[in-house]
Amino acid sequence: MNNLPEDCIAKILSLTSPRDVCRSSAVSRCFRSAADSDHVWNHFLPSEFPEDFRAPEGLPTKKHLFFSLVHNPLLLHGSQLSFSLERSTGNKCYMMAARALNITWGHDQRYWQWISLPDARFKEVAALKMVWWLDITGKINVSLLSDNTLYAAYLVFRWNLDPYGFRQPVEASLVLAGTEHDDVQPSMVSLMQNPGSEQGQRAELRSDDWYEVQLGHFFKRRGDMGEIEMSLKETKRPFEKKGLIVHGIEIRPVLP
Amino acid sequence: MSESDLDIMKPETMKSYIYLQTADGSVQQVEQEVAMFCPMICQEVIHNGAGSSKNHAISLPQRVNTAMFSLILDYCRFHQVPGRSNKERKIYDEKFMRMETKRLCELTSAADSLQLKPLVDLTSRALARIIEGKSPEEIRDIFHLPDDLTEEEKLEPLKNTMDDPRIRLLNRLYAKKRKELKERERLKNVEVEEHVDERSVDDLLSFINGRGVEDTGCRMRDLSSLEDEIFTPNAGCEDDEIDPAMKEMLDREVEDFARRLNSNWVQSLGQERRPVHFSINGNGTTRRHIGQPSGHN
Repeated sequence: MNNLPEDCIAKILSLTSPRDVCRSSAVSRCFRSAADSDHVWNHFLPSEFPEDFRAPEGLPTKKHLFFSLVHNPLLLHGSQLSFSLERSTGNKCYMMAARALNITWGHDQRYWQWISLPDARFKEVAALKMVWWLDITGKINVSLLSDNTLYAAYLVFRWNLDPYGFRQPVEASLVLAGTEHDDVQPSMVSLMQNPGSEQGQRAELRSDDWYEVQLGHFFKRRGDMGEIEMSLKETKRPFEKKGLIVHGIEIRPVLP
Repeated sequence: MSESDLDIMKPETMKSYIYLQTADGSVQQVEQEVAMFCPMICQEVIHNGAGSSKNHAISLPQRVNTAMFSLILDYCRFHQVPGRSNKERKIYDEKFMRMETKRLCELTSAADSLQLKPLVDLTSRALARIIEGKSPEEIRDIFHLPDDLTEEEKLEPLKNTMDDPRIRLLNRLYAKKRKELKERERLKNVEVEEHVDERSVDDLLSFINGRGVEDTGCRMRDLSSLEDEIFTPNAGCEDDEIDPAMKEMLDREVEDFARRLNSNWVQSLGQERRPVHFSINGNGTTRRHIGQPSGHN
C-alpha cells in the first residue's frame, strides 16, 4: 500500500463511506493526505444540487463543505425548504416549512395561527387553535432527491399547552402524484405516544425536541419524475382538534 | 483503440506479437491483441511505433514487475475476447480477485501505470471492501502501514465529525479567555504569578458556570472584543504558547461543560428548551441569550 500513488488510494477511499474515510485519516500520513483530498469528498457530495443552491462561503475544502451541509441545513426556495446531507451516505435531505404546505383553513385566523418559535428552523410555524377538518398536505418534486435511495416523510410537530382530539389515530399517506388515489389506502398513525396503541406508526421524539410521525416512504430511482404528495388528515370524526403545532414535513433517507 | 487500427496493424491473418520489457530487464513476447488491451501499450505502439522487435521492446513502467505482468496478461487475454457474455466476465473477475491483500495492492499499482481502467476499478473495489468498517489500527495492520501520525493529528478527525456549534462557541470563548489570561500573567509581578494562575482557572470556571466573576482586573476592552468574537463566524482560535498543563485542564473543562450543557437539556424535557448563548457584559458577568440555533437534528 505504501507504493500506491495517492490518487489510487483516494480512488479506493471514494468507494467506501464518509465514516470510513474519516477513520482513514487516522491511519497514516499518506492515508490522511488521500482521505482529506477533494477528489474523495467530491464523490460523497451530491452530483446534482437543487437549483437555487449556493455553497456557503469560506469553506476551504470539499470535506468542509460536506460536513457544513450535514450539520448546518441551508434554506432554499424563499426560506421555505431546508436542504442538508445525511452524514453516512451524503444523500440529500429536505424539510418543508409549514408555510410551504397546504393546510386547509390555514389562512383563517379563527382556526390556525402563524407564530414564530426560537427553536424552529423556519420563520413561522402553524399553531392549531381549533378545527374539525384537519388536512395537511405537502408536495415535493422527486428530482430533488438522491437516486437509488429509500426515503421516508415525517410530519414534524409538537403540542401546545392543552392539545385535544388527537387520542385516536389519524390518516397519513404518501403517494406519487398522478397515481390513482383510490387504490392507495392511507395508513393510520398516532400523533400521541400512547403505550398500548394499536398497530401503525407512532410519534417519536426527535433530538431537536420536536416530535415526528412517519407519513409514508418512497424509493427514488434514477429518472423518476413528478411529485410525491404527503398528507396527514382527520376529516371523518365530528369533533374538534386543538393544540397541534406544525413545524413542517421532513423527507430524509431511511437508514438500514 | 478502433477496429480500423487493428486492421492496419494486422493485414494478414497471421498472429503478430508485441515485445515488452519488464522492469527486471527480461523481454517478453505477447500476442498483439492481448497487449493492445492496455491503453498505455497501445499508445506506445501506435504513436511511437515501438514494440515491433526485440531490440525495440516497449519498456513497461517500473511498477509492473514480472509477476504482476503475468497476472495482467491473463486478465487481458480473457477479456479481449469479444464473444464473452457479461455473466462470464463477472464470474471470471470474482475469481480473479481472490488473492492476498499485498498482491491486490501491487496489482492496482501495476494496472494503474498501464492505464488499464477496468482492472483498476476491480481491484479498487476489492480493496475498498477490505477497508470498510475497519478501525485505523486494523487498517494499519492489514496493509503494513507506518504509524506516523502524532497523537494530536489522530484526534483531529474526531473534531471534524463532531462539529457541534455549541462546542465551537465554547472553544472560541476559551481560546479568547486563555489569551486574556496570558496577557494578565505578563502584566502581573513575578511573585504573584502563581496565585494569578490559580485564580484565573477558578475565574474561568465560575465565569462559564454563570456565577459571575470576581472582578480581578479584567479589562473591559478585552471583554467587549470577546463578545464580538463569539458572534463572528470563522473567528480563528489559535492556541498560542499556553502552558500545556493549563491547556489540558481547560480542554477538559470545555468537554465537561459541554457534557453538562447537553445533559441539562435532555433532563429538562417538557419545559421550553432553547439553546443558550453566553455573552459577557462589560463588567465580566455572563448574560444568557436566547437566540436562533443552527438547525440540527
